[in-house]
Amino acid sequence: MKGVLATDRRGVRELGAEELVGWDEVTQGVVLNSFDIELENVAHIPPEERPYSDFNSYTATVASWRVIKPVYNRDICIDCQNCWVWCPDTSIISRDKQMLGIDYDHCKGCGVCVEVCPTNPKSLLMFAEAEDPEAALAKWPEKKKKEKK
Amino acid sequence: MAEKMELNDVEVWDGNYAAAQALRQAQVDVVAAYPITPSTPIVENYGAFVANGYVDGEFVMVESEHAAMSGCVGAAAAGGRVATATSSQGFMLMIEVLYQASGMRLPIVLNVVNRAVASPLNVRGDHGDMYAGRDSGWVQLDAFNAQEAYDLNLCAFKIAEDINVRLPAMVHQDGFLTSHTAQNVYPLSDDEAYAFIGDYKPVDEMLDFSKPVTYGAQTEEDWHYEHKAKQHRALMDSYVVIDRVFEEFKAKTGREYKRVESYMMEDAEVAIVALGSTVETAIQAAQELRDNEGLKAGVVAPRCFRPFPFNEIRDVLANVKAVAVLDRSCPMGAMGALFNEISAAMYTTPSRPLITNFIYGLGGRDFSLDDAKHIFREQKGHADVGYITTPIQQFSGLRGPKLGFYETKRSK
Amino acid sequence: MAITSIKNLKEFSTVNERFEGAHLLCPGCAHSMIVRELMNATDDNLVIATNTGCLEVSTAVYPYTSWDTSWIHIGFENAATAAAGAEAMYKARKRKGTLKDPDAPVKFVAFGGDGSTYDIGFQWLSGAVERGHDFTYICLDNENYANTGGQRSSATPIGAHTTTAQAGRVSYGKKQKKKDMVAIMAAHGAPYVAQLAPNKWKIMAKGFQKALETEGPCFINTVSACTTEWKFDPKDTIHITDLATDTLMFPIYEIIDGHELNILYRPKNVLPVEEYLAAQGRYKHLFKPENKHVIEKIQKDINDFWEYLQRREEARV
Repeated sequence: MKGVLATDRRGVRELGAEELVGWDEVTQGVVLNSFDIELENVAHIPPEERPYSDFNSYTATVASWRVIKPVYNRDICIDCQNCWVWCPDTSIISRDKQMLGIDYDHCKGCGVCVEVCPTNPKSLLMFAEAEDPEAALAKWPEKKKKEKK
Repeated sequence: MAEKMELNDVEVWDGNYAAAQALRQAQVDVVAAYPITPSTPIVENYGAFVANGYVDGEFVMVESEHAAMSGCVGAAAAGGRVATATSSQGFMLMIEVLYQASGMRLPIVLNVVNRAVASPLNVRGDHGDMYAGRDSGWVQLDAFNAQEAYDLNLCAFKIAEDINVRLPAMVHQDGFLTSHTAQNVYPLSDDEAYAFIGDYKPVDEMLDFSKPVTYGAQTEEDWHYEHKAKQHRALMDSYVVIDRVFEEFKAKTGREYKRVESYMMEDAEVAIVALGSTVETAIQAAQELRDNEGLKAGVVAPRCFRPFPFNEIRDVLANVKAVAVLDRSCPMGAMGALFNEISAAMYTTPSRPLITNFIYGLGGRDFSLDDAKHIFREQKGHADVGYITTPIQQFSGLRGPKLGFYETKRSK
Repeated sequence: MAITSIKNLKEFSTVNERFEGAHLLCPGCAHSMIVRELMNATDDNLVIATNTGCLEVSTAVYPYTSWDTSWIHIGFENAATAAAGAEAMYKARKRKGTLKDPDAPVKFVAFGGDGSTYDIGFQWLSGAVERGHDFTYICLDNENYANTGGQRSSATPIGAHTTTAQAGRVSYGKKQKKKDMVAIMAAHGAPYVAQLAPNKWKIMAKGFQKALETEGPCFINTVSACTTEWKFDPKDTIHITDLATDTLMFPIYEIIDGHELNILYRPKNVLPVEEYLAAQGRYKHLFKPENKHVIEKIQKDINDFWEYLQRREEARV
């Protein structure tokens, strides 16, 4: 995950915890700028290289929404990208067709990624929020045997 | 490339056509509009200009007035000059979008050809629609004749787009009385008119892809107040820019506009405060009373209805003894809106003149010289004894038993 | 138009996301899956308008925005008109030469929930499509006014429980059938209309690309399974969507130029609608014996519509 979640503005702010400025400092017309400086075409720039403004929700965290969290098992994953395409919170990080892991600043713990994971055993499983990911990996279940009908 | 029009030094235009010409000369990028009496000719004439190659911009005939203002907001956020026109029911229909437009600080020019608001349904001129939008956060200017309908449109673009204003602006004119009355109008040439307004300078435009921008965010109770206060402040302070634009317009054309117009007020003992074409009726009545009866009458018109010219009203009515404020809209259950705003301003002065309220001219009911003179004489009656001798609110020109509300509690 | 590669999911995953996390949508919300697919389907600049609703209210609450493209919300009804106004401004400024980057490609997109699309914003959408603006309108159809707590809309299917057409002692929920917006939009002459679902990601991405590339007004109805109002566990969004498409409750098809209807997904095994209904709390009352006829009606309507789609596809009308 190194270098992907590299900016030091990540996960700093809980929603609602931003500084309450006065009428003279709020933006004109309630307008919000996504980035701090001009950029050529944001679609060509990976997120870790973008000059996100403090107004961009990228710089905030919803981690406190979770009571359970997905843990990612790199050893079993086949990089199918199912979890990537169906994550509602842009929290499955994939680069160069390789899964890198979970953005825990933005993950809400919905569990969709686990459900759509096709491997056996799954490469993503839900654990209690407090669970240490390393410990979770150590508890990973074995391959499920196909039920004989 | 849009063709230019050769205009005469003096043209004979009605208020609607004058407004349409101003929109053409302003080289509006997008007009999104819908027809409604009596503003329809503005849109029709603009359509004729488009069809004959005089307009470079887009002309979008939408499916309702709400859509007209919505299209204007989307276009304005995309960073260009935008305008439209409406009246009455159409104005009422687009009201929610008026608030949205000003909240987003988007310069848009809206021509409101003032018409009564249903029910009953009425297509004639009164100020019901103008008043309905008074809290919508727009700069609001009032034209009393066709020349002013033309001039104030040019000024409105310049005011609205000023970097220190960035608020939408309305130009009002009386339905039929001004919009359909042909008068002499002295236009600027196409080049002069456009040069006066200048090029549009985009701010926070959606079509600048190097700076993606979000418009129309929601606010919770921790942010809403500050945003509204900021917007209010911008509208309150816009008077600086309005005065400057009026000065520049005077330098260019010799025609002087003030946020509060005053006529014969230097030594006036009594005054009428009014808006729209009534102002010219009152001026003539005052002149005749001066000439024939020695009655020192004057006329005041808050041409800039928003931001309300609180200070200038206080100055111009400081030495007057009795004032009649005329409201061409029925307030329903209260004193007239203009009466309330004038009274609030005068309440803070040492002189506190006697102020009464006349509701008049609803649904296009004619307001005559005699009506005006009667009101002036009544004010003289109050002034002579030092207190209001009639009900505080009355209805001028109403058939049936006299209708009036509230007696004064101030004795001599 | 710069389309991204959707040859397979691995290719697709190499796009740079433009919809950011830490928005306020419910965990498991399909709106977000659909929006991500749209924004990932193209590299072009996007100007996006959104009606008041779950998406708007969750992605732009001052002082945060989750949009990395220009975005506008005006009101409940008028995203289509906002997009139309922006598109008109683009045309005007391009003609006049006042655009900052005149060669930069841009697509205009409007999002609306079913409430704003089928009901309160219907006129605005109709007008924009009739006028032929070059934009794509995507309805995020979760079959209710979810943002305000689950009231009925004209997209709510027959027999569903909503807070204003409740299932109770004397009522089985909504009595009226769901409005067919796809047909209505096709009847407007929209050059491309479709009904798509996020579980079939490739068909959806392809449909989005087609709509973005097609000049003129395109309309896409997307099934957006709503964990909160349909009442199922957030993790099951894709599973529920699978049931929706495999029971043919939501057939996936497109209509090109009003006459070329193509069914885009044919389930290997069509499931009985009971499986779909049983998985959601909003339909559980239908399993009472007195409401059995409603399930039968739902199944019949599905069968009839599927038959109609197949016949029309065959006849090329």
